[in-house]
Amino acid sequence: MFALPEKESRAPSTCPGPASTQDLDSNCGDGLERECSRKPDQKLPELYGVGDPTAGFSSNSSHLSSRGGIIKWFWDSAEAGYRTYHMDEYDEDKNPSGIINLGTSENKLCFDLLSKRLSQSDMLRVEPALLQYPDWRGHLFLREEVARFLSFYCKSPAPLQAENVVVLNGCASVFSALATVLCEVGEAFLIPAPYYGAITQHVCLYGNVRLVSVYLDSEVTGPDTRPFQLTVEKLEMALQGANSQGIKVKGLILINPQNPLGDIYSPAELQNFLEFAKRHELHVMVDEVYMLSVFEESVGYRSVLSLERLPDPQRTHVMWATSKDFGMSGLRFGTLYTENRDVATAVASLCRYHGLSGLVQHQMAQLLRDRDWINQVYLPENHARLKAAHTYVAGELRALGIPFLSRGAGFFIWADLRKYLPEGSFEEERRLWRRFLDHKVLVSFGKAFECKEPGWFRLVFSDKAHRLCLGMQRVRQVLEGKSQVAEDPPACQTQEPRDRHRNCALRSQDNPSLGEDLPVK
Amino acid sequence: MAGYKGPGLRREAHLCCDPTHPSLSSSQPVEAKTKAQGMSHQSDVLPCDQLRDQVIGNQSSHTQLMETLLHLRQTVDDCITQLTTRPPQLDLPLEEQRHNQATGEQEAFLRRVVNLLQSGAMWGLGLQAPRPTLGPRDDAGGGQQAQLSRQLDQLVHQLSHLEVAFVSHDLSNRGIDISAFERSKFQDFKTYQGDKYHEDKNTMGFINLGVSENKLCTDLMTERLSRSDMNHLEDALLQYSDQRGQPFLREEVARFLTYYCKSPARLDPENVVVLSGCCSVFSALATVLCDPGEALLTPTPFFGGLVMGSYLYSKVELMPVHLDSEITDGSARPFQLTVDKLEQALLEATLKGKKVRGLLLINPQNPLGDVYSRDSLEEYLEFAKRYNLHVIIDELYMLSVFDDSVTFRSVLSMESLPDPNRTHMIWGTSKDFGISGFRFGALYTHNKEVASAVSSFGFLNGISGITQYKLCRLLQDREWIDKVYLPTNHSRLKAAHRYITNKLKALKIPFLNRGSGLYVWMNLKEYLQPCTFEEELLLHHRFLGNKLILSPGKTYMCKEPGWFRLIFSDKPLPLKLAMHRFYEVLAEQKRDLRVKQLEDPQKE
Repeated sequence: MFALPEKESRAPSTCPGPASTQDLDSNCGDGLERECSRKPDQKLPELYGVGDPTAGFSSNSSHLSSRGGIIKWFWDSAEAGYRTYHMDEYDEDKNPSGIINLGTSENKLCFDLLSKRLSQSDMLRVEPALLQYPDWRGHLFLREEVARFLSFYCKSPAPLQAENVVVLNGCASVFSALATVLCEVGEAFLIPAPYYGAITQHVCLYGNVRLVSVYLDSEVTGPDTRPFQLTVEKLEMALQGANSQGIKVKGLILINPQNPLGDIYSPAELQNFLEFAKRHELHVMVDEVYMLSVFEESVGYRSVLSLERLPDPQRTHVMWATSKDFGMSGLRFGTLYTENRDVATAVASLCRYHGLSGLVQHQMAQLLRDRDWINQVYLPENHARLKAAHTYVAGELRALGIPFLSRGAGFFIWADLRKYLPEGSFEEERRLWRRFLDHKVLVSFGKAFECKEPGWFRLVFSDKAHRLCLGMQRVRQVLEGKSQVAEDPPACQTQEPRDRHRNCALRSQDNPSLGEDLPVK
Repeated sequence: MAGYKGPGLRREAHLCCDPTHPSLSSSQPVEAKTKAQGMSHQSDVLPCDQLRDQVIGNQSSHTQLMETLLHLRQTVDDCITQLTTRPPQLDLPLEEQRHNQATGEQEAFLRRVVNLLQSGAMWGLGLQAPRPTLGPRDDAGGGQQAQLSRQLDQLVHQLSHLEVAFVSHDLSNRGIDISAFERSKFQDFKTYQGDKYHEDKNTMGFINLGVSENKLCTDLMTERLSRSDMNHLEDALLQYSDQRGQPFLREEVARFLTYYCKSPARLDPENVVVLSGCCSVFSALATVLCDPGEALLTPTPFFGGLVMGSYLYSKVELMPVHLDSEITDGSARPFQLTVDKLEQALLEATLKGKKVRGLLLINPQNPLGDVYSRDSLEEYLEFAKRYNLHVIIDELYMLSVFDDSVTFRSVLSMESLPDPNRTHMIWGTSKDFGISGFRFGALYTHNKEVASAVSSFGFLNGISGITQYKLCRLLQDREWIDKVYLPTNHSRLKAAHRYITNKLKALKIPFLNRGSGLYVWMNLKEYLQPCTFEEELLLHHRFLGNKLILSPGKTYMCKEPGWFRLIFSDKPLPLKLAMHRFYEVLAEQKRDLRVKQLEDPQKE
């Protein structure tokens, strides 16, 4: 009755490359070497790829179970990069030559606003009910608030129901719980690649579910197309390919706004993908964790919850969290919205492992309720700061002649550094990443996102100006082949930190109105 | 979908204990009885069919589904045959187990059904494993026949309930397991949530002495948590942190445990992993130590919530080491765990082909309130070492030892652990600080591999940075803990315990008089006639009918019917009211037993 894991055939899934944990950890490379070495095994790599990490893995632990060994491997491959960064973290005063982190997708621009809001007296209530066992789905007051919040910001045609909301400690947990209750061990989800690599680990650790990458191309094929565009044809081909390998695909994961592309799906595209899923009776998990981080108004983002009619509402599951949009990844608050009561109930019963403190639940409800603050203070300011930071980094890249993608959503720019890889191999990509790290700037390489073309890198720009400025200078030095760096670069060295800010701000003013795609190639 | 509402409603009808409910009526016609007895292969098909028709309706295109269902129904049929022909004890002696002709698949299914049914009784309102009593203990009157038919009725109902759950084509099989599990308690929890006792607003509401929470010190805790030092905020708290937990918290936990566990050497923060609650720690630990289908030995009765911890996510099984209430040669007190019993249980598991990877101990024990002596602890650890078993020790109640004459010894206080690389200790603030809503649990292990593997769960089972900060402040405040919180908490626990035990003494109810934990383990066998788990459940429902929630022993996999766990760590007012309700129910039960006794001889 119990699926006993045979390590060879169906232990976890996909490649736990460095990116497979958080972005933070994603940038190191122990796992990667193993991964690169087994790359040639894959069939039809240009269309899709089935993750299977155990190919390069062997466990010799006397204390762990076989799955425990694999789980530990996830940790180890993450740990190496984590250590490198955290042993030498940049600090303006204490460690100015430390590593600047442009790898972790966190919004560090608005802590001042958040800290002020979270310290107001309404946030600090302590009452016995908050200290005791909650309803595992989340306190009702919070679920009601989430439903109201999503109704408003997702522009849902009808009010969303608190009954359909389950609160968990972050979207990682939502992925884990959904994978477990929707799939058997060894079954799979489709996911367009490049994608946020940590999902690999989320669906694998408990769920033992694997990911099938739908590989997208940077090349533009027609007048109305864009780089890395997802199409129904690509989904169909990947699904067929996986089926032909005997892999049971249970669902499709969409990230919208996309990470790492910063792309967003139009309502028509979204509708097509949902119809595709319906045709094949696939669940669709839509991760909208960046939905309020669309800083270009012209982009016209539409949540899946805003659609008049979902093709298959019982198989459409939406996740959102405060991690990105409210810059509090450390708060661990995520939520699932699904009309499917079976799924909601099943996920809820896993919530005893994914609960969050009653006091934090109270704070989240207060935060989401404060529409005035969100609309008039937080969002405008956050978007303005994101835009300025984006403008600055985009300008730096332009100056270097580096093509990149960015459509005005998310915290990152997807940069094409292929011209710096003479052979165009993942090995070179990793070496370049290593050179960045040696020059004290942490970025994420494309392989960590399962990108099939070597040479793409993700740069996170949602950081304070002085760090961003320093980070970009180090990036430039690496790319320009200057290798003395490692400390404060000459341009900034003679100036006080304050001047440094001004310097950056000025520079970003010089490069207004970015955000449109630069043609790739 | 239709399958969602259906079972819940049906079960509620079944749970309401309505005497007019046909299945509970003692004047059940004999016809029904024969039908029920002959149910093994054909007649039980009926209810299943009906249910399925309701659920599937016009979805005739799902031929594959139908095939699965047919197969399942066959399996259910077989299981019913097995169950009805099995002796009353589910926990058969080994010999009999081996005589069981069931195929491996059937047995696995049966085990799952039984697992689900057993553990569904968390709230006691949920599904309960039906135990057809064909054994010699039962008197052979008409009442017994009616009872039998009722039990079979329940059985069929419950199995078909499970089958209905299988119809959900949106969930994976494990998703269905998980969901069925939740459903069995969900309605009950909702009922309770909707009608909770409140001093002013709802004095007629449910008093919950079933969930182990310490509500005696919410005043102290609220005051402490409201102080300004708790509200510090810095950017690191809002950002991704070390997956093992914020370094400041792990350092504090190491200091805290060094002090309160009286560790001979300073404990190392590197050996600490913090996750969102002890359930998470246990679940992660079970996952990295055992592969699916492997097992942990567990002395029973024990806290049933851990069944879920091991089963839902990790598919790790718990092999009970059944303890006896009777004092025998090898034991000095009721329910005493001995190495002999561990050896025997391990042997039985091995003979059954179960791979046992570890031993799970709870100390102070839940629900017994027992504290293991240093010698016993050492013996258990030595036993585990002999067989290369991991030992997971849950010391969740270590600071809730309120009787000064009881000496609790943490496993971390031992000079040298027999097998440090296989000894893993779990602690959290839920019970000792009465803040189960905080969702905090910590693992302490010397084994770096295990610590690393468990750390991988840091994102799935992580704690908010804000919460980690508050916990750190709390654990740091040794002055407040030692001078204010612990003395007050202990004296309040003592007073509440005294109040309850005096009541029990007055009622001449036997109980284990221990000085730790938040509960009393008592024996209500006197009130069961006959002494079966069905009667235990009925008595439990009687308590519920009178708006009192207790936990029946079955929930703890206790092998003797009649035991209940009562949580006494509630405020005096609800406690008093609860005992009043308790008394009423027992008086009523006694009256009924007397009537029954008078009626029985008349029938013969």
